[in-house]
Formats: sequence, C-alpha cells, structure tokens
Amino acid sequence: KINDINVNPNNPAIDKATAQVLFPSAVLSTAGNVGGELDIIGGIWSQYWTQSPAANQFKTIDSYNLQRQDFNGTYNGLFSGALADYQLAITKAKEAGQFPFYLMATVMKAYTYEILVDLYDKVPYTEAFQGAANLQPKFDDGYTIYKGLLAEIDAALATNYNVALVDADAKADFLFSGDMDNWRKFANTLKLKMYLRMINAHPAEAEAGVRALYAAQADFLDTDARVNVFTDATDQRNPVYAYTVFNLGGLDLRASKTFTTWLTENNDPRIVEYFGTETPTAIDQGYYNAPQSAQPGYYTATAPNFGPTDPVYFLTTAESYFLQAEAAARYNVGSASSLFEAGVQAAFDQYELTPPTGEAYQYPNGTLEDNIRAIIYQKWASYPNSHTIEGFFDQERTGYPEISKVYSLDIKYVPGTWVYSKNGVTGGKFPKRLVYPDSERTRNSNTPPEVPITTPVWWGKQ
Amino acid sequence: QTHTVTGTVTAREDGSTIPGASVTIKGTTTGTQTGVDGKYTINAPEGATLQFTFLGYDPQTVVVNKNIINVVLTLNSKQLGEVVVTGLGISKAKKTIGYAQTTVKNEEINRSASINPVGGLQGKVAGVNISNVSGTSGGSTKVILRGYTSLGSSNQPLYVIDGVPLTNARSGSSDNFDFGNGANDIDPNLIDNISFLKGSAASAIYGSRGSNGVVIITTKKGKSGKPTVDFSSGTTLTDVAFVYKPQETFGQGWDAHFILSENGNWGPKYDGQLRPWGAIVDNTQLLKPFSFIKNNVRDTYDKGIELNNNITVSGGSDASTYLMSYNNIYSDGILPGNVDGFRRNNFSLRGTTTYKNFSADASLNYVAKNGNFVSTGQGPTGVGTTFYENILQIPGDIPIKDLRDYKNKYFNVDNYYTPFAENPYYNLYENGSKFKSDRVYGNINLNYKITPWFTVQLQQSADVANSGARIWYNSNTPKPGSWVGGANPEGQSRKPDVGSVEEDNFQTYEYDTKLQGLFVKKFNSDFDINGVIGANYNDRGARTLSTAIEGLAIPGFFQLSNSVNKPSSAEAESHRRLLGFYAQGTLGYRDYLYLTLTGRNDITSTLATGNNSYFYPAANVSYILSQALDLRNSAVSYVKLRGSYGETGSDTDPYNISNILTATNVGLGFGNLAFPFRGVPGFSISNTLLTNNLKPERVKEFELGAEIRFLNDRLGLDATVYQRTRQDQILAVPIAPGTGYTSELVNFGSVRNRGIEIAVNATPVKTPNVSWDISYTFTKNQSIVTSLPDGLDKLILNQDGYGGYMVAIKGQPLGILQAPVPQYDPQGHIVVDSQGYPITAAENGSYGNFQHDFVMGLNNTIKVKNFVLGFTLEWDKGGKFYSGTADLFNFVGADPKTTYNDRNPFVVPNSVQAVTDAAGNTTYVENTTPITEANVDDYYYTTSNKAQAWSRDILDRSFIKLREVTLNYVLPKTLANKIGAQRATIGLYGRNLITWLPAGNKVVDPEVSNYGTDLASEYGEFRTAPPLRYYGASVKVTF
Repeated sequence: KINDINVNPNNPAIDKATAQVLFPSAVLSTAGNVGGELDIIGGIWSQYWTQSPAANQFKTIDSYNLQRQDFNGTYNGLFSGALADYQLAITKAKEAGQFPFYLMATVMKAYTYEILVDLYDKVPYTEAFQGAANLQPKFDDGYTIYKGLLAEIDAALATNYNVALVDADAKADFLFSGDMDNWRKFANTLKLKMYLRMINAHPAEAEAGVRALYAAQADFLDTDARVNVFTDATDQRNPVYAYTVFNLGGLDLRASKTFTTWLTENNDPRIVEYFGTETPTAIDQGYYNAPQSAQPGYYTATAPNFGPTDPVYFLTTAESYFLQAEAAARYNVGSASSLFEAGVQAAFDQYELTPPTGEAYQYPNGTLEDNIRAIIYQKWASYPNSHTIEGFFDQERTGYPEISKVYSLDIKYVPGTWVYSKNGVTGGKFPKRLVYPDSERTRNSNTPPEVPITTPVWWGKQ
Repeated sequence: QTHTVTGTVTAREDGSTIPGASVTIKGTTTGTQTGVDGKYTINAPEGATLQFTFLGYDPQTVVVNKNIINVVLTLNSKQLGEVVVTGLGISKAKKTIGYAQTTVKNEEINRSASINPVGGLQGKVAGVNISNVSGTSGGSTKVILRGYTSLGSSNQPLYVIDGVPLTNARSGSSDNFDFGNGANDIDPNLIDNISFLKGSAASAIYGSRGSNGVVIITTKKGKSGKPTVDFSSGTTLTDVAFVYKPQETFGQGWDAHFILSENGNWGPKYDGQLRPWGAIVDNTQLLKPFSFIKNNVRDTYDKGIELNNNITVSGGSDASTYLMSYNNIYSDGILPGNVDGFRRNNFSLRGTTTYKNFSADASLNYVAKNGNFVSTGQGPTGVGTTFYENILQIPGDIPIKDLRDYKNKYFNVDNYYTPFAENPYYNLYENGSKFKSDRVYGNINLNYKITPWFTVQLQQSADVANSGARIWYNSNTPKPGSWVGGANPEGQSRKPDVGSVEEDNFQTYEYDTKLQGLFVKKFNSDFDINGVIGANYNDRGARTLSTAIEGLAIPGFFQLSNSVNKPSSAEAESHRRLLGFYAQGTLGYRDYLYLTLTGRNDITSTLATGNNSYFYPAANVSYILSQALDLRNSAVSYVKLRGSYGETGSDTDPYNISNILTATNVGLGFGNLAFPFRGVPGFSISNTLLTNNLKPERVKEFELGAEIRFLNDRLGLDATVYQRTRQDQILAVPIAPGTGYTSELVNFGSVRNRGIEIAVNATPVKTPNVSWDISYTFTKNQSIVTSLPDGLDKLILNQDGYGGYMVAIKGQPLGILQAPVPQYDPQGHIVVDSQGYPITAAENGSYGNFQHDFVMGLNNTIKVKNFVLGFTLEWDKGGKFYSGTADLFNFVGADPKTTYNDRNPFVVPNSVQAVTDAAGNTTYVENTTPITEANVDDYYYTTSNKAQAWSRDILDRSFIKLREVTLNYVLPKTLANKIGAQRATIGLYGRNLITWLPAGNKVVDPEVSNYGTDLASEYGEFRTAPPLRYYGASVKVTF
C-alpha cells in the first residue's frame, strides 16, 4: 500500500510509552514551572525580589497587571506537559503492576495539581486528559479536586508499593532515587499541607484530616523533596537561573527591600545565600520607574543569588517541620515548639548555617495567632530561591507577613511587612490568583467567568 | 520516388512547437496534422508541394526533396496563433484555454540581470505577487498567486520545470538565516518562458499539488543549425534601498539625562558642544560634538556587487539538437567585509533527438552554491547578539562607522560604550554563517508516435539536493571592572556571551514518473479534439540533521568539539508518495469554441486508507467571439470569453495521523530543560493531538474572464474575476490545555478569496523607428475567513514576542493584526492608571489586516530605433504590518514619534482616571496626572506602556516602488557582424530604485520579513535587514 511508509521514523508512537520514560519527564516539567516561571511570580509577589528599573521583563507581574496573554506557560506546561504525562504514567504503571511508579506519579500529580488549584481556584480535573474524547472538560472546584487528589494518594498508598526498584528505575526517580519510604513520607506531608490549606474554607475537614494522619501514625518528610540534577550545561541549568540569568542576562530581578530589611533586622546569615552579600542594595517593591536622580541606588541593586546547579525544592525538610508545627499548634498533635525549632534548624542546615538567636527564631508559645505568625514568617524566610510561590500561598492563607500600611520608603515601615507595589494597578488590593489563559478561555466554554486577580481562591483568608 | 517526410513545425516568435497544424499535399486531399509535439509524418512524392497551415499563422509551402522538413511559421495574428505551455508541459494554442494564463518571455525575465527567475517580474503580472523578503542576494523570493487561502499549510505555488516538479524547499535553521529557496536555483538566462497558472481550472491536472497555482518554467532548447554561442554578462551594484530615519533632536541618554553608557536617545537636546563619549580607558576618553550624525546608519553599509555571467552553446542537426550552458553568479553584499557573499554555478546540458517515430530529450543540471549570511532578528539569548539589533541601539550622536574598528581599546568587548548592547561589528566579524548546497536535477523524456494523432510519452525526473549550513557565535566575557564589566556610570555589567556552533545538513529528493498518451485529431471541418491521459508517480522526501554546541571552550574556534557542553543533536526525515491518474480533453468546434474537461484522482501516502484517494474535476470553456462572428474588418480585432471551474487540493505532511511521544524538552519561557538528565531519558506525550480522520484540503475555484483587442491589437484588455475557496483546511488549532494537549490537528473551515485581475495593453505609438508599449495591471484580492472550528473565535497565524499577533477571525478578512490596546471609558476616553499611563484592556484590539486594497503595475517600453527604454512602477496600497524594528526604534527613543511635545511632561491626551466609590461603582474623572519628563521614555516602551506600543509598531503597508528601469541598445546588424556576432545588445538597468513610503512609516520597507515566505511573513518583520537597490550594466552577444 502506498501509505505503508507513513510511519513516523522520528518519534515513537504513543503506545510505546512506559512509566519509566514518562515520570522523569513529568517531574522536570513540574520542576521547570515551579522552579521557573512560578518562582519568578512567587518571588516578586512574596516580595523577595522586584523588577529592576534598568530592565522591563517582569513589570507586568510587579504591577499586578497580568492579562490572559501573560505568563501562560505554567498553565499550559503543567497540564499538557507534567500532568498529562503523570496521568499516562499512572495508567501504564497500574497496567504493568509497577506500584512504586504508581505511587510516585500519583504524589507528583497531586503536588502539581495542588499548585494549579491554588493559583486558579477551579481547573478541569474529573474530565481532564481525555484528549479528543472531551475537548471541553468541565471545571471542578478546588475543594472537589483536593478531595479527589487525597483519595488518589490514599489509593496509591494502599498498594504494595514498597518494593525495591532495579537500578535503572531508581535512577529515573530524581527525588529519592527509588527510596519508597521517602515517597510515603512525601505523600503524608503533602496530605498534611493540603489539609492545612483548607483551614479557612473547611476547618472541620481540615482538622479531621490532620487528626486522621496522626491517628494513623503517619510519618513525615525528614529529608528534602527536591530535584537536584541541574548542571551548568546547555538546557540542563536550574530553571530560574536559565530563565532570568542565562537567557535574560540577569538584568531584571533585584532584591526587594521588603525581604532585605527583615533579613538585616534579624541578622539572618542566609542573606548571603539569597543575595550573595551581607549588605545587599535593595529596591522598594515595584518602584521600577523611579527616576535615577531620586533613587540612584536602584541601578546598582543586588540581584538574587541564583546558580546554574541549584536544586529545585518541592517540599523542604524545614517546610515539613513547619507544617507539623502548625498542626501541633492548632490541634495539639505534637510539640509545636520543638517542631518549630526543628524547622528553623533544618532551614539553616539547608545552607550549612547556624540560626541566629533573635526573637523571630524562637517559638513564642503565645496565642495561636502569635504562634502561627512566627511559623509563617520562618517559612517565608525559607522559601527562596526555588519555591517562592509557597510564600505567596501562605500569605493568602494566613495573612502573614502582614500588609504594611505605609510604603517601604516611609520611616514608619516595619521590616518584612508587605507593601503594595508602587506601580500596582489593582487599587491597593494584592493579587491572590492568576487569570485563565486565552488558550483555555477561548477553547473551553466551561471556563468559569473571569474574576479580578485580587479575588482570593477558595481557601484564601477573607 | 516517394518520401516519408517527417519534421517539426515551430513558431518563429519563440521557437515553440505548434501542435495541430495542418500538413497537406497541395492539389490533393491527402493530409495530416502535427502531433502534440509539433511533429508530423506524411508520405509525399518527390517534387510535390507541402502546405502548412495553422490558424493565426501565415501559411507556408515547401517542395518535397528530402525526408526531414522542419517548418517555421510566422504569426499573423498574435491572439489566434499564440501557443502556450499548459499543465504537464503540453503546448496548446492559447485561444483554446478557458482560464487566465500569463506567459513571460526570456527577454522580460533577464532585462535587469536578476539572478533568480522571478526577480525581474515584480509588478508585471496581474495576480502574481513577487517580493524580496530578504535584503541579501541569494536570499528567498516570495511568490504568491491570487493571495493566501491556506492557514496552516503552504501557500507556495508548485514549480514545474520542463514538465516535472522542482523542489522549492527553503533551507535554514531559522528564519533569521535566509539561505534561499529552491526555485531561485534556476539560471534565469536559460529560461525560455515562464507561465503562471493562477487558477484551479488551470492547475487541476496537478491535483493535490496544484492548489496554490503553478509556475511553469520552460527552458531553452538547442535549435538545428550551426552552433550558436550566447554570451551574457551583467554587473550589478547593490546598495541599501531604505533605512529608517531617526529623530535629530535628542541625543544619548535616558530619563532625560545624558548618560555615557546608555543605548538610547533619551538624553538632552543636541547642543553641538564637545563632550566626552564612551568608556574611560586608561584614564582617557574620546571627545566628539554632541550632535546628530546624518546618514549614520546608511553609511554603515557599503556597496555590494553582483556579477551574473552566462555562456550557452547550442546547435544541432535536423534530427538532433544540443545545448550546453554555464552560469556563474558572484556577489558580495552590502555589509562591510567578507561577511555576506553568495556564489552560484549552474551547469546545464540539454539534448533532443528524433528517429522516425521516436523522439527523446533529456536535461541535466548541476547547481553548486555557497554563501555567507548575517543573522537578522534577535540573537539566541545568552549565546550572542545580532548586528541589526545592535545597530538600532546606537544613539544618533555616536559615529557608527568609527565602531568598525571593533578591537580598538575604546570599542572592544570590555570598553564598548554601553553594557546594554554590543558592538555591531563584533557581530559581523566574530559571528557568522556559511551555507553550501549541491543540487542535481533533470529529466529524460521519451516519445513514441504510434499514429499521427497519438503519442505516448514517458518522463522521468530527479531532483536531489544536499546542503549544509554552519552557524557560529563567538564567546566573550567583559572583564569585571571594565566599563562593560560594571565600571560605567550605571554600574551595570553585561553578561558574557557563551557562544555556539551549529552544523546542519539538509537533504531533499524528489523523483517524478509520468506515463501519458497525447492525442490530437481533427474529425471533420467542425470538430477537433486534443487530449491527454496519464499516470503520475511522485516520491519525495527530506532528511535533516542538526547538531549544536553552546558554550565555547576556546573562543574563536568554531567546531562541534570545542565546548564545555555536550552537543545536542536532532534528526528528522520525511517521506511521501503520491500516485495520480489524470485525463484531460479539449473539444474544439470550428476553431472558435473550445471545451476542456479535466479530471485527476490522487492517492497519497500521508493520509489513512479510506481517506487518501480523492478526485479533482475541472472544466473550462473558451469562446472566440471575434472568430465566430468574423469581426476581422471591424475595430475589434479579437474577443475571447472564457469561464472555468476547477478543484484542487492538498494532503497533509507525512506522519500527521497517529499520536506520538517526543523526547522531552520543557520550555521555561526563556530557555529549556532538555533530556536526558543525569543519564535518564524522558519522553512526553506530544502536545499536538493527531487523528487518522484527516482528509485533504480542497480548493474550489470559479473564474470568468474576457480578452478584447481593438484596432489591430493596438489596444487590449484582459480581465478576470475569480472566487477561490479553500475548505477542510488542515491545521493545528489550539485546544484547552485541560485536555492534556495544547493543539489538535483537524480539518476545518474555509477561506474565500475573491479577486479581480485586469491587464491593459496599449501601443500608442507604432512606427518603424519608434514604438511605445504600455501595459498596466491591476489586482485586487480579498481573502475572507468564512469559518473556523466551533468555539474557536480566532486562530493565531503568527505572533511577536510581546503580545501582538496576526489572527484569522470568522467572517473577517484573513490576517487581522491584533495587539494590546488601551482601556476606554464608555465615552471613548483612554483610562489611565495612578501614574498617568494608559491601562491595557483585557483583550487585544484590532489594528487592521495585512491585505492590500489593490496592487497596480505600470510597465512601459519605448523603442526608438535601436534603443529600448523600459520602466516599471508598482503601487501596493493599504494593509498593515508589524515592525519589530519600530518597537526597538521607539524603545531607544530614535523614532521621530518620540519627540512628541518636545519631550516635556504631558497628560495623555483625552484620558480619564477611574474612581471607585465605597459601593463599588466606578466613575471616570478627567486625568490630570502628567507623564513626567523623566518618565516620558517609559511612554514609548512596549512593557511600560503596553496599551499603546503597537499603535507605533503596526505600520501602513503601502508603498510605491520604481521596480525596474532598463535601457538597451541593440547594435545594428552591420556593427554586430563586425565583431563576428549575429546580434549584440548592451544595456543599463536598475531595480528597486526608488521606494516611496507613506507618512506613517519612517521605519522599514514593508516588503522585507524574516518570518519566512508564507502567510506568517505577512505579519511583518522582526529587526531584519534592509532591502537592496540594484543598478548595473549588461552585455548580451550571440555569435
């Protein structure tokens, strides 16, 4: 037949897919987005960094002026890149009885999905990834998706996943090299994180979920869930480094005064890790159009200290302890103060540093609000330089760091409190979510109506 | 004694064979006619008289005294006698065809020594749009017949040379390097004529390859007789035809301050005072007046040269002919130094032979070309930058020419005046590309005449090309502490360029086999029939291999081994087959009414069984009213009415019907993550959803036309209206990412083109010594998108990197340019933010579409004795395009538009601010917040005033160009004979001499583009090279 030759010699057919080739691909897709574009948005919106007046790239982020056409890579990339591949990997792993890959892909799917839900509030879930069978998947609300993901994790944990992997398969696990105990801990910690995220919207379910974890004596991460495979070679570099430094020349992101004042006030030695110097020059958040005559220092401001081989963290040991500390503080399921201390220690261990002894590093043992505030400040200070988006989520959930009533140029400014961007276009309201990209809105009539970027997502603190 | 006389009947005007000519023995009823190849055989006694007749030609008689008698007939009526080449290389009397066909001859093609076949035809053919998208010789030429209809596939016409298809692939690793397209490889000197089959009725015989029209190229053949030597030589100078015109008021600086290290013109007004400039090196600094330098950019370019030499030797006996040709092209471009050059050598052989009823011809062509090209557009980030981008970022008071000494201590990597850009001459001399291609094409054609009216033809062709490109960027690192390394007033340092080397190999092949029977027969005095039936098998494919390294270990050494990184490599091959069966017949009635029916069935390899066989019908009618009514003695000398309908189509590319995995490459926005990582491979589901339900695209076209001549052909009008609809288009359309895919390849919707083509010819003056011919063409084509997939309100056809794009919208003209627009209040005022800058609306707005309102050409030829003066004007009116040059031109404050209000503070005209009260109601109050002096520059950046940037970047596409001026002097025969020549001509010519652009566009010639040569290129350009102007002299001698 004349069309016998129409077999693609350049690419394998889709039915040749295995969990072993899909999973690492999807993990780096998650890492590339969480540690790339979302790290930039998170870093600016969590006020670690701001746009330099000497360049332009991220002005739209720093002024909260995102439209449907802007920064859509994450939405497209996470759905069609990471999640579609996790989903197929899960299917393939189930079919082949490869339960370790089933668990790994399920946990990473949940981790990735959660980020999408937290950014967009509602996304397709129950009808997603059906290709031509459903070109307009309906949108599920965030709570439904959370419950679905938690159930998926539980189902994967219920399998006989804890078997040794052959070397080649272990190598394909960039997080834990096939250590399935760590995958269980990651799964449990992720569940804890998701329950705690529901405390405003569904406090009873959140508490029940956390208590169930503790009742089942769940173990939590005591090592970093991270991808540490980057080298200073072509297309192998740390994503935020590749994006902002290697490709954009490192001209855009600069230290934000919000963060540097806090680090300086607390004599936090991590300032060197984050900015490469003990005395960074910072720019007030969003003031990228300051005349040079008025703010000459802006032009020599310090850039974030990104490196080409930096790992991308999904969930650090410190974050695990801080989550446990919050659970303990809220529900008395453990020793909040010692978990807090373990978190602080782990956060500094990450950089082989010793924590300072200031008040901010001590568990207050005060009101719940005081305790939560202390925990979240420490989390905020621990997220750069790779999963900054979590700082943004924590603030939306807990209100910490607090919003400053004055701009950071004001004498009354309190270090670390968030200031409204000098060039913000949202009338004093902070961004709380992203807007759906054109690609989804125009092609899926089920896309929910557009709401302002300042509307909190379902779990946000009202 | 009776002879079996054979021979060929040809036309004197162009040497083409005449099929269907009558051959009778005078005084008898015995006779025959010539076959489709113009050949005849007749038995006649010695001494008898043969009479040769053909409508429109003067009859001729020859006394039989030998076995081979070739006859040349002379035209008596141009319209009745003209013979043209139609599809499949078949010659036909033009009067019999019922669709518009334009043929241009060698003389027209080569009048200005163009190095490619269509370069000399701009503005001359109605319905054929030819533009030079590239500012380099050796670059691509864009040819579009009757506008664009395909949104996702190709809109390129099929090129057919001597009856066989020619590959028109465009090789280049990206649009920033234009190494030329395949059709440009043909030596124009060797072309006898080019026919443009614009409509589907004409091209239906090419079925699934004819949907964008066909360009039929017929090359010269040797003629029997003693050897002839044709020599032609053209020497062309080139220079830049158009460069942007910057404002002349404000000099280097930013935020209204003079800043030594800035790459913008946002400084104070020029005062003519001596000021230091550039880096402080060894405690010294250069001095220059702070004033605008006229022609700063234009003087950056040199003059280029293009040499075009051809020698052709031909001749033959009565039975056989031969032709040998060599063409050499040498060119050096307009950039200083040896960085842009192009060389091409064409060797061609052609032979024909006849033995009794058997005839054969063959051609073999070898094309070797190589060249150096300079990157346009944007350099690969982190790797290197480009000349054109850096040129744009030099303030108007900095002498660009001085920077040419790019290793000088003030202008080198460490001490260039700004850390925000690089020395453009560094780009020229340290980066580069080299392209080399070898190509062989040719065909063998065997004919056997079974009976006088039936000939069988077998034709086999091959077209094989192998080309390679190397692209390199040198690495550099500004020394820390040097000016560029941070010791400038702004304390900024430039990141190192890591450099790269890329090595590409690109192979194409195409084999075409055709077996057909041709018949021509006159039944009685009323009816004649002329037809073809055949089968065609086409096998073609391509293979590319591309390997690159990034990060040079040793600077200045460009080899794949020279890297700190592993090379990355990609290969791709494609292979497709097409089997077609076709038939075409023309029934003639009394030499004035002709009906042609065509049918072709194609079977393609690229679609699934069940969907891969499809039929294309066509029909056309030609009615020679003047012949039917015998208007010979009236003022009307010729009237032909024609009408046609045709269908063509196009299949899809290979491997588009089943889903695949791809080796994972995670796009970061800027940069990528490419597997393998840590020795682990990764594969991902391809983001494009494929389906085996695809069917071919289908084009349906109606056409009506008339050709009318008056006053013995002194005045003529040829008008055509057409409607072409392309439906079931195959295109990857975006789908909701929630499906797991980002796009889906589907058949959908349609684009409808309606157009009118008018050609008027007049000869106001015609005396033996003086004549003046005018031809005027008018083309109007409008393409409308008539449907899109459900729910898809628009389809993005091309986009810039900042948020503007060109789209197809249902019910709207094709190719609307949409980009960010300001938000307006209900009264139509611009809403600004608290800083006084316009707020960007949530959705992009429309800035118009790319299509011209009309295209006109005016072509004049004035002969005075032996002098021939010709000139061609083209006027393209209307349409819009995006300019990435304008974008940067505004950013750096060079555009005259940026001097608005003398750069004093101003309130955005007609603007309001939104006020929201406690109840959430929004009202609008007059805006009084000015854009301050220090922030005026921000008003012109794409990022800080996104709402209005495109109003400055999307420009009027109109232009008027003096396309060609030629002056030829034909040496008197006596003089020519003195130097041993039969004929000699010397000529002066110019092409693209003057460009007039509308007031709104001071930036860039709208014809240039570095977005390719298809629909995407209509979006505009992104910091590409300026167009060229050509002028030179030629000599043509025939010995």
